[in-house]
Amino acid sequence: MSIVVVCAALFSLGVYGVMVRRDVIGILASIEVMLGAATLQLVAFAMSSGVADGARTEAVGLVILALAATEAAIGLGLLVSVARRSGRGRLDEMAEVEG
Amino acid sequence: MGVLLSAPWIAIALPLALALLVAVGGSRLAPFMRWVAMLGPLAVLAIGVASLGATSETGDVVAPFVSTTTAAASTAWIKVGDFALTIGYAVDALTAMMLIVVGFVALMVMMFSVGYMAGEDGIARYYALLLLFTASMTGLVLADGFVGLFVAWELVGACSYLLIGFWFNKPSAAAAAMKAFVVTRIGDVGLFVAIAILWGATGQTSYIGSMAALPGLSAGLVTAIGVLLFVGAAGKSAQFPLHTWLPDAMEGPTPVSALIHAATMVAAGVFLVARVWPIFAASPTTLTVVLFIGTFTALSAATIAVSQNDIKKVLAYSTISQLGFMFAALGAGAWRAALFLLIAHAAFKALLFLGSGSVIHGSGTQDMREMGGLAKKMPTTAVTWVVGAAALAGVPPLAGFFAKDEVLHGVLIASPVAFGALAVAAAFTAFYITRATVLTFFGSHRGSAHAHEGGASMLLPLVALAIPAATLGFAAAAIAKALGGEPEALSLTVAGISVAVATLGIVAGYLVYRHGPDADLALENTLGGVWRASRAGYFADTAADYLFVRPFVAVAHSTDAIVDRGLFDGITEGSVVVSRRLGQFFNRLQTGDYQGYMPFAVAGVVVLIALAITPGLLDLTLGWFGR
Amino acid sequence: MNITLSQVIFYLIASTGLAGAITVVSTRDVMRLILGLGMFLASVALYYLYYGLGFLAVAELFLYVGGVLVMMVIAIMTVHRSAETEPILTNRHSVGAAVMSTMLFALLVFGLSGAVPVTTLGGQDPGIAALGDAFLGVFLAHLEIVGGFLFIGLVAVLAITGGERE
Repeated sequence: MSIVVVCAALFSLGVYGVMVRRDVIGILASIEVMLGAATLQLVAFAMSSGVADGARTEAVGLVILALAATEAAIGLGLLVSVARRSGRGRLDEMAEVEG
Repeated sequence: MGVLLSAPWIAIALPLALALLVAVGGSRLAPFMRWVAMLGPLAVLAIGVASLGATSETGDVVAPFVSTTTAAASTAWIKVGDFALTIGYAVDALTAMMLIVVGFVALMVMMFSVGYMAGEDGIARYYALLLLFTASMTGLVLADGFVGLFVAWELVGACSYLLIGFWFNKPSAAAAAMKAFVVTRIGDVGLFVAIAILWGATGQTSYIGSMAALPGLSAGLVTAIGVLLFVGAAGKSAQFPLHTWLPDAMEGPTPVSALIHAATMVAAGVFLVARVWPIFAASPTTLTVVLFIGTFTALSAATIAVSQNDIKKVLAYSTISQLGFMFAALGAGAWRAALFLLIAHAAFKALLFLGSGSVIHGSGTQDMREMGGLAKKMPTTAVTWVVGAAALAGVPPLAGFFAKDEVLHGVLIASPVAFGALAVAAAFTAFYITRATVLTFFGSHRGSAHAHEGGASMLLPLVALAIPAATLGFAAAAIAKALGGEPEALSLTVAGISVAVATLGIVAGYLVYRHGPDADLALENTLGGVWRASRAGYFADTAADYLFVRPFVAVAHSTDAIVDRGLFDGITEGSVVVSRRLGQFFNRLQTGDYQGYMPFAVAGVVVLIALAITPGLLDLTLGWFGR
Repeated sequence: MNITLSQVIFYLIASTGLAGAITVVSTRDVMRLILGLGMFLASVALYYLYYGLGFLAVAELFLYVGGVLVMMVIAIMTVHRSAETEPILTNRHSVGAAVMSTMLFALLVFGLSGAVPVTTLGGQDPGIAALGDAFLGVFLAHLEIVGGFLFIGLVAVLAITGGERE
């Protein structure tokens, strides 16, 4: 077992969650899972291959972290805004396009 | 003069241009335009006269032309690789004579129409079609090869269709036009196949070229070509069994009948045989067929003409019969006699038709039972009619006598039996035309019309046509010489028989009918079914209907049901149904549920990753896309 | 089989992370969702520590667990006001999604596994100074861009959630 398997599994779980969960919160949480897994994978590669030293790895990790946090904030803001107006928290109820 | 000689194609171009001019002149044609239209046939006539004077039968004569040619030119029309169809014109004495006939008769017909068709709707269309016909017929006689001939042949047929159906709102006229077109089309198929065979065997379509290549063909092939050409001629010239369209064609305006169905178009068949005479001369079998059909038609049509009540139908069957005489002469090898009869017939038959037009115009009916006594009320018409009738009957010294005499002489040499049949036909000819004359002009008027003569525009052509009808006989020798032959001396035996037969017919006709049409009843009682069969044209139409028309219509209906509606409509509507179902199917993919799209998106990513990580898979995939 | 301590730790962290992720994708209860996410994020932080990246691990804990998670709790409180019935978890696409995820997992493993050896416990902690040098040296541009994004994010959230005040 290696870090690759772990990260791949975590990432795939996140993808599954995005496809399957009906509540928006759940979807956002799944996205966080995906992001976390991906960052971890990058960091692991960086540290194991010896190309990058610790400081650079941390820097990259922090950059990704900041961006992920921003995205989460905006997503949550959207959710709150829509939910306040429509009173709905579930994606399928928010969808207006019919098949 | 030089222009006329060197550019005979003007005879086609000018009427054509005038046709276009008249056609766009609106539905109400200014009267002066009708006179302008006459410039067309006038040009044809002028070119014919000039060319006849310039040709010579001595000198450089190339078969099948009968004399030197005054002008000739040809050009490649359709080119496919190495093959080219050439089209062009050439004027020899025969062509020149035909030009004179076409031009003169067309001119007279147009002049007559000024009075006869005055006030008719669609007069512009009428004159445009007459001009178009003139141009097409001119093209037919000017052609220097089969390609030009065939094109003009078809055009002439189309004009005939359009003119017979001139009053297209009348169902009988529309049906007659269709019938004429279809029946002549059957003949045209024969013509086309003949041309195709000839081209295939010799590689030539020009007259000169194909005649030169004739000796290299087998006898059977030449016979086949000849017979097929005759089929085409029989269609156009209303010979048995393709004659049924001509009586119906009388639905068209009478001047049209005079021009097309008496003098010119129906003569095209005779012209064709004369033009390519070497083919026929080389095949005795074909000549026998022609002789037989011609004789049979001449006799049977003459017997039908006896019992008709419609004056135009009498003339129609008379035309069929006279054409039969011409073909009999051709079949006997006497092609110059046939041509002479063609020219004389054009004159007196056109005269008779226009005269009947005058009679119809004046008395308001076409049925001879309601006519009578018109000689007093329409003297000019009566006199010219009698001239024409006498010419038809073969009364010397009118043109018809000389022409018929030549024909009978030629046929006698080939076949005494045919000669006998034609003599009987001549007797009938004299009989039926006397009947028509007596019923129309003599006695007292049986109808209720106030008969009156037409205007000068109608009388002048009658007089003008009466002159050649009377005097053309004296030009017989000159005509024969111009056609490259030797003028024959009059055979007293044949002349005697001819006169005797004519006299018999005329006297019998007068005696039987001088008291009016009731004599028909007496004849009917005596002859019974024969008379009735004659009046019905020996049921030729009924036979054609059952033999050909009905089966063909049944096939057409079933094709419509099976192929047109079943297959093609099925395909088009089926494709509509299929695309609608497909659309409904794919519609279900568009759920609006974005989450549902995600598995597909992930699937795409999966595919891409798979392509990227599998060694060589990327190249394989790109190879499928052809890079 | 020689199992070293580092491997045991590795597997332990892996189990908590997986447990957290599985909870995130499969729980009905919103609060459990948050807890699961928290567990996952914590395990990621522990992994950073495992590789010797102290600052990153702490930053992760602060920002994610302390910040994002708290945000989510507040958002939940705003959205799930009524004590409505628990939403049914999955939508119609669970089978297809499961298949796709599994295939994705397999491909990722297959594709990436050649690159990295089985890990051992990480090396030296680089230290804050080195990190500072990096950010103000090689990664200066990154720093500025991230700053910009954070600013945009701030404005955006204010704009989105500000909304109409009567």
